[in-house]
Amino acid sequence: MNGETAAGLLSEFDLETQTEVLPDPVGSNQDELLVLGIETSCDETCAAILRGKDNVLANVISSSADLHARYGGVVPEVASRAHVQAVNPAIAEALRRADLTLWDMNAVAVTVGPGLVGSLVVGVAAAKALASVLEVPLLPINHLEAHIYANFLDHPNFGPPAVGLIVSGGHTLLVHMPAHGLYEVLGETLDDAAGEAFDKVARYLGLGFPGGPAIDQMALGGNKRAIDFPRAVLHKGYDFSFSGLKTAVQDYLRKQEKQGKEVKLEDVCASFQEAVVDVQVTKTIKAAQSLGVSTVFVSGGVASNSRLRELMSAMCAENDLKLHYPSPEYCTDNAAMVACCGHFRYIRGIRADSSISADPNLHLA
Amino acid sequence: MLVLGIETSTPAASVTIGSEQGIIASSLVTRGAGPGDFLLPAIEFLMEQSGLSYRNLSAIAVGLGPGLFTGMRVGVATAKTLAQALSVPIVGASSLDLLAFDVRYSDKLICPVFDAKRKEVFFAFYRQVPGGITRESSYMVGSPERLMAEIQGSGEDFLLVGNGALLYRDPLERVDKVEFGSMAYAFPRAASLVELALPRLFMEDYDRLFDIEPHYMRRSDAEINWERSMQRKNR
Ligand SMILES: [Zn+2]
Repeated sequence: MNGETAAGLLSEFDLETQTEVLPDPVGSNQDELLVLGIETSCDETCAAILRGKDNVLANVISSSADLHARYGGVVPEVASRAHVQAVNPAIAEALRRADLTLWDMNAVAVTVGPGLVGSLVVGVAAAKALASVLEVPLLPINHLEAHIYANFLDHPNFGPPAVGLIVSGGHTLLVHMPAHGLYEVLGETLDDAAGEAFDKVARYLGLGFPGGPAIDQMALGGNKRAIDFPRAVLHKGYDFSFSGLKTAVQDYLRKQEKQGKEVKLEDVCASFQEAVVDVQVTKTIKAAQSLGVSTVFVSGGVASNSRLRELMSAMCAENDLKLHYPSPEYCTDNAAMVACCGHFRYIRGIRADSSISADPNLHLA
Repeated sequence: MLVLGIETSTPAASVTIGSEQGIIASSLVTRGAGPGDFLLPAIEFLMEQSGLSYRNLSAIAVGLGPGLFTGMRVGVATAKTLAQALSVPIVGASSLDLLAFDVRYSDKLICPVFDAKRKEVFFAFYRQVPGGITRESSYMVGSPERLMAEIQGSGEDFLLVGNGALLYRDPLERVDKVEFGSMAYAFPRAASLVELALPRLFMEDYDRLFDIEPHYMRRSDAEINWERSMQRKNR
């Protein structure tokens, strides 16, 4: 969490004991390397095929979100069952779109964690079976690392050293990436993930699930300064907290109802969103400046939030920082980012064998 | 016809390679890291030891449960993906059927019982017929007391097998006319899966790759709770 020096950093070499490092396996053929990516860490069953480091030949996403909508959140058992049904059709569809066969693949990359264990095991089982039959390397990928690598898909010039946010329904992390495969987690949420806060507030407002896009849309017509919601600016370092803000929204709604005042949903959404985004942007910029890093990224489902992009762009421009964020299709969970992370792993010679397993609590560093 | 059988729906993860000429290689592990870790290394080991490769396989057979959710998913996802990659047919079988088939040499009513956790068991009733077994009940999930009531109600002699029968032996033993199978038959095995799959494969009675699913028998808690809350609302 607070490793200030290189000695405090953990690398993937330390994290995965089953991996072995081989000398340069592909040499000059890196641009032709075909990696099949599989991602099943939450409620989306994803398969993708990547040629080289950024040529996405197919990016298939089969979501079970509709099945979860009535429960107001992802139900792990429902998600796991959906993955068993969807993973093989997703792989077949990716191959069809890329006009390739499984036997063309040079490696199989799969998310092994963090995530829902019942969901992860499905993708991992499929990937292990494929790598074993095809006799190609199996590349175990950290989901959070994959979110960072999503930036390579749109920005060939992206690269470490960089500082950025990974913000989604499951995660809120401020990360320093000094080099490929090296990460330092500067800050994390102490309670809800940012996306979770969006989902919960959307539920209070009756806007349905998932809440992020609904609030983003509603906020466009609202005044972000209408209600002064609290910013949880924690004194210690770069950690985040959203539970106080969530409660403040509830309190506000209750107070308005008691006083018989009308609630303008647009204003609530805009003001709530501003409170979330403000803290995230401020801390990211501060981290980049204090580490002397000039590249900033924003990844994860919440990275497609329009206000986060707007404010982050403005603040980065003001502070002379280069900002990268993936296009919307690579912000939410997808397997192209997993394949991309796998590509960089492969060319660094990192391999695993069929004894790898899902790790729902896998850490980035 | 070389068949790879995968059965991981109970704490016993089991893999067998066999054909109509017999079982070639088989393994079973009931503890350790779990089917997710065991399965692929076990398949690779059996292939290597028997001098076979994936390209020799003609079909994949898989035990569908009922059983432990994660085990069933690992087994089914692995089996489906192998069948997809190798472009070979897949057939699924109930894991209760497999265990009943193993102990079919009895005139009693045969009842495989799996521990379903949460103080419940999965079970079904079978009878020996020439060349195999026939199932005489639906697949059921319920308390050991419910199983006892079913047994008493039928008035027949019973052979109870499986880890659920052994776990609840104490209450179940109080019922008359009940005999228990040995611990050698505590779990379904991939060897009987291969044996049961072969006739279906010869008749080209395959399952559809994208449709085959674990035999969950229970809905998720969230679904059950949601339905209850809807019923309350509608009342
Ligand atoms: Zn994610």
